[in-house]
Amino acid sequence: MPHARSLLRVARRVASDASSAEDLVQETLLRAWKGFDQFETGTNARAWLFRIMFNAFYAQGRKRRSGPVLVPLEHAEPEPEPSTRPLSGWTDAVSVSRALNRLSEEHRAVLLLGVVEGFKCREIAEILSLPIGTVMSRLSRARQALREQLQAPDPRPQESRARAACAEREAS
Amino acid sequence: MNCGEIARQAPLYITGELDARQAAEFDAHLRTCEECMRELERQARIDARLREAVLAEEDDTSRIDRRVREMIAAKAAGEPVPQLRPRFRGWVAAALAIAAAAIVLAGVGYRTLVRQPLAPVYAAAARDHGIEVVQHQWRPWLTDPSQIATLAEQQGIARSAVTALASGGYRLSRGKLCFLDHRIFLHLVYTDGIREFSVYLRTRDSKPLPVAAREISNGKPLCTSDLDGEHVASIETPQLTAVIVTNESSDTALKLARFASAVL
Repeated sequence: MPHARSLLRVARRVASDASSAEDLVQETLLRAWKGFDQFETGTNARAWLFRIMFNAFYAQGRKRRSGPVLVPLEHAEPEPEPSTRPLSGWTDAVSVSRALNRLSEEHRAVLLLGVVEGFKCREIAEILSLPIGTVMSRLSRARQALREQLQAPDPRPQESRARAACAEREAS
Repeated sequence: MNCGEIARQAPLYITGELDARQAAEFDAHLRTCEECMRELERQARIDARLREAVLAEEDDTSRIDRRVREMIAAKAAGEPVPQLRPRFRGWVAAALAIAAAAIVLAGVGYRTLVRQPLAPVYAAAARDHGIEVVQHQWRPWLTDPSQIATLAEQQGIARSAVTALASGGYRLSRGKLCFLDHRIFLHLVYTDGIREFSVYLRTRDSKPLPVAAREISNGKPLCTSDLDGEHVASIETPQLTAVIVTNESSDTALKLARFASAVL
């Protein structure tokens, strides 16, 4: 399905779990079909789909959402101590992924839309139904928050980190 | 513009949404303010890390595709609509007829619904080209051909490969490293001054790309695919994997891949 992968990529990081994310994308596609006559030919279909998805997400209410997004099992991999940096590509991806998951939902949303999906601020404003000035300031704050999270020490218990470091040494 | 204004306008600068006058003022400030320039570079680096981290993950939409396909197939056959998830039952049937029509109207077609899964690297390459080349997202690129060739060498790619791919009025425009499907590729962009295409190069993995070859060109398997408006083609030589992406046409992608098979 066109754009389904993009939608799922973002949904997985704003919904509370993988199953809810798939439900959200499916609901988005079905809503799009149902309301296809409202789509204006020549406008950005991808932005339109994301707007439908965020409308559906917000309509579900906050009770369906919880705090940090679950980290997929395949990414629950060992993370090196800060002293071992520079990081390899894979471990850096894990660190960044974890840092993103620790951000607030609204910061995750603008970063995913703006940085990962490549939407312009004007498009993000339409998708999230926000003034463009709010999007700009939220993007700046989200970038700053991500940077702080990347600089923060690993919040996992020391024992867990020791196990992870041990596993990594064995792997190498 | 002062430093505060630069910080406020940076999101619009990065996405290319400032008008020409504002962009010129922004650039002028960056030329004179080392701190703002460094800050923007830091932002760009973190953006790149975030994008690479998220795009490195594989998002499998096959379950979603299958659910919708089953609904459409059942409707077409006049069978009861499969019950998917309880909370969708109420309006799924009403949406079906519109859905089927909308798919045709949107030019998606049934073929898209049932197409085979593609190599993740193809999807990643198409997405990367769309964002970085077509939409011109601000990224740190190397533009000096000798520096790009050195970068290629560091990745085990012959310097000659970088220059060999420029032909037919196209020249090397820029290059950098990127992640596609968990693997590092050298991303090269070639331009004729108007159009651009991307070539993603890496040394050949032990296993080939999981895509059926369309043809054998100059003794090398050549594969093609169209994804989200981007046209992707790849060739594999004994030493290299090359993935080519253009938004021109599938025919252009095919011609470029055939040319690459002759020179790589």
